[in-house]
Amino acid sequence: MMDPSTEFPTLRIAHLYPSLLNVAGDGGNVTAIVQRCAWRGIATEVVPVELGETPDFATFDLVLFHGGQDVEMQVAAADLGFKAPSLRDAADQGVVIFAVCAGLQLLGHRYTPSAGEPMEGAAILDLETRGGAQRFMQHAAVEVTLDGETSTVVGFENHSGLTELGPGARPFGTIVAGAGNNGQDGTEGAVRDHVYATYLHGPVLPKNPWLTDQLIRIALERAVGRPVSLAPLEDGIESRAHDVALAKARRNRGRFTALTPARLVRDRTSSSG
Amino acid sequence: MVKSAESADLVAAAEPAEPFRFPAARRAPPLTARRFAALLAGKAAATATRLTGRGGGTSLPGMVARRIDPGILGALIGERGIPVVAITGSNGKTTTARFTAALLRGAGLPVSHNSAGSNLVQGVTSIAVAAADLRGRLPQSVLVSEVDEGALPAVAAEIRPTVLLVTNLFRDQLDRYGEIYAVADLFETVAAGLASESVLCANADDPIVAGLAADRAGRRISFGLALERSTDEITRAADTIRCPRCRANLTYDHVYLSHMGAWRCPGCGLERPPLDVAVTELEVRGLGETRCTLRVPGGTLDLSIPQSGVHIAYDAAGAVATCLALGVPLDHAAASLATVDPAFGRLERIQAGERSIVLGFAKNPTSFNTTLRALATEGLPRQLLVAASNTLVDGEDFAWLWDVDFETAAAGVRQVTVSGLRADELANRLKYAGIDPGQITIVEDRRRALDVALAGTEPGGTLTILAGYTPTIELRESMRRRGWVGRYWKA
Repeated sequence: MMDPSTEFPTLRIAHLYPSLLNVAGDGGNVTAIVQRCAWRGIATEVVPVELGETPDFATFDLVLFHGGQDVEMQVAAADLGFKAPSLRDAADQGVVIFAVCAGLQLLGHRYTPSAGEPMEGAAILDLETRGGAQRFMQHAAVEVTLDGETSTVVGFENHSGLTELGPGARPFGTIVAGAGNNGQDGTEGAVRDHVYATYLHGPVLPKNPWLTDQLIRIALERAVGRPVSLAPLEDGIESRAHDVALAKARRNRGRFTALTPARLVRDRTSSSG
Repeated sequence: MVKSAESADLVAAAEPAEPFRFPAARRAPPLTARRFAALLAGKAAATATRLTGRGGGTSLPGMVARRIDPGILGALIGERGIPVVAITGSNGKTTTARFTAALLRGAGLPVSHNSAGSNLVQGVTSIAVAAADLRGRLPQSVLVSEVDEGALPAVAAEIRPTVLLVTNLFRDQLDRYGEIYAVADLFETVAAGLASESVLCANADDPIVAGLAADRAGRRISFGLALERSTDEITRAADTIRCPRCRANLTYDHVYLSHMGAWRCPGCGLERPPLDVAVTELEVRGLGETRCTLRVPGGTLDLSIPQSGVHIAYDAAGAVATCLALGVPLDHAAASLATVDPAFGRLERIQAGERSIVLGFAKNPTSFNTTLRALATEGLPRQLLVAASNTLVDGEDFAWLWDVDFETAAAGVRQVTVSGLRADELANRLKYAGIDPGQITIVEDRRRALDVALAGTEPGGTLTILAGYTPTIELRESMRRRGWVGRYWKA
């Protein structure tokens, strides 16, 4: 057995706005990282970072920034300005930041919703998002290459934002099935240094153990300053969940499952008397 | 017949509510050949599905009738001025409707009710078609109907509720609705558009529901819990813990169930409105009984209900609020609610030969957590069958499984059979909750899963089943074929 105290230091994880950005089960990403570390004897510490709190993010190994609904996103955006300088500093120093959906949008320069005021992002990723008329709600699959290794990442997208990447960001992956950043250019998510952002919920990490392990490995390598090879785990159940989601994404390719938006239903009801 | 007001001393002191009287029914619109054909076809469809045993005729008759005459529901109900109680919200619709129907019947009123929980526009049309005669006339009765949140605007326009009851708003099927706030918008539109003489019954403990139709002039009855202790805490499954007016984080004097409680906003001073119906005492006694005391205008009600959980107190308070709204006497309330068994699959106890089964229907983080907590009052389940399927009614996105507190339940589990079309996601969730993969068996087929799970349960032992809507019906049908239960639409 590995001795956690000598093999690796405790992996410190900052969980951004856990009580605010909690709606899509993305907390499962924390569970996935913590359990896959625990099964290898690697200790973890998860620190919730809520509104008004401004820790030094460079002291963490991993930062998680998840999705939320528009209202919660606005509240987070109003607070994010206080955290942004430290987050930018952490990103520059190679801390692993993993962002999903609203997290992706708020790591960019700004998010301009279809109605309402634009929200300033943390400007860590060179991207910009505006609200679109259509909501993408479907299973999706993305081909992702990290450090020369390629795999297919699966999840469920639920967003109406349309994201365009600038020259300073690379896509996280290319769309196999689904809409991705904007439903047009085949890109999904964004990457720079060790900052990874995606639209995929699911939650995405539990059914993509390859991606989870990459994030853990990269974070540990930065912590110990040398290459790390993680002990393999038995992933039969994870693989099955991955493969079922992939099959669903392929079957749903190009089909949107969104119902009529509430606004339209309302207009119809009121006009019918 | 309608009871006289003097037997209702509880309500006598209440607000200006008139004692209930059936309104003079408006004249039926002339019976067209099309409407007659729709009624005939709908009734025939109901008979046919019952005879072939393919379901309780809960949705098909309405669908058939509407295809022939799209205006049939409005013509039978809304345009006739039939008294209608519409019950909507994320959780508790079916149980609240059962309680309401029991209270009305207990007070001597005839009731039509979609007891099998088929709550889309077709299902509601089915009750109306079943209750009507072939000339489109309904016998004098109160229509008690649960209504799906998404179907609410369309259904409300056709049935014109006398009372609209909103139970709560939880995250549920976000792949259908996009966001919780989209559902809140639907509630707001319908609540604000109620006729001025209609009554809105709202759960005041749920911040968004409490704030619905704030500017409406018509009557409103608020219900909730007024216990001097918390029965829950805010967890990551909590949904709307921000002020509906200024969006500051709410503070809670007491949390009763997920985000429901005695809340107030430190930002703008908004707080939970005063309760017209308040649960002042509550004791959940195992899986078989909930005792509670309700404060109503002019008195108190001591209730013992043969179902388990904090949510049962909410459902009872909502049903009592509906009686106040209609002006129906409450003197028989305790007797009426004492005999309302769980609806099918709501922690239903089923004897399966030498083994027993507890069947728990759960469809979102809150209903799962509530069910798990109720189960824990009799010890952590050891033998589990968990099933989830993606269907039109169950939704496509199962991310919410990761917000269910399976971690607590994992400690007691010896063996778990995972079933349904999304067995893969469930099995992964249970593994990450700390259940050893060696204890997990995946059997997608529901009938075979039941065999496997029962085979793993020792004689005299209990198998606990947690399942989404469709797998619950499938598993129950499998039990019916084995002679262990009756048909679900009669439960």
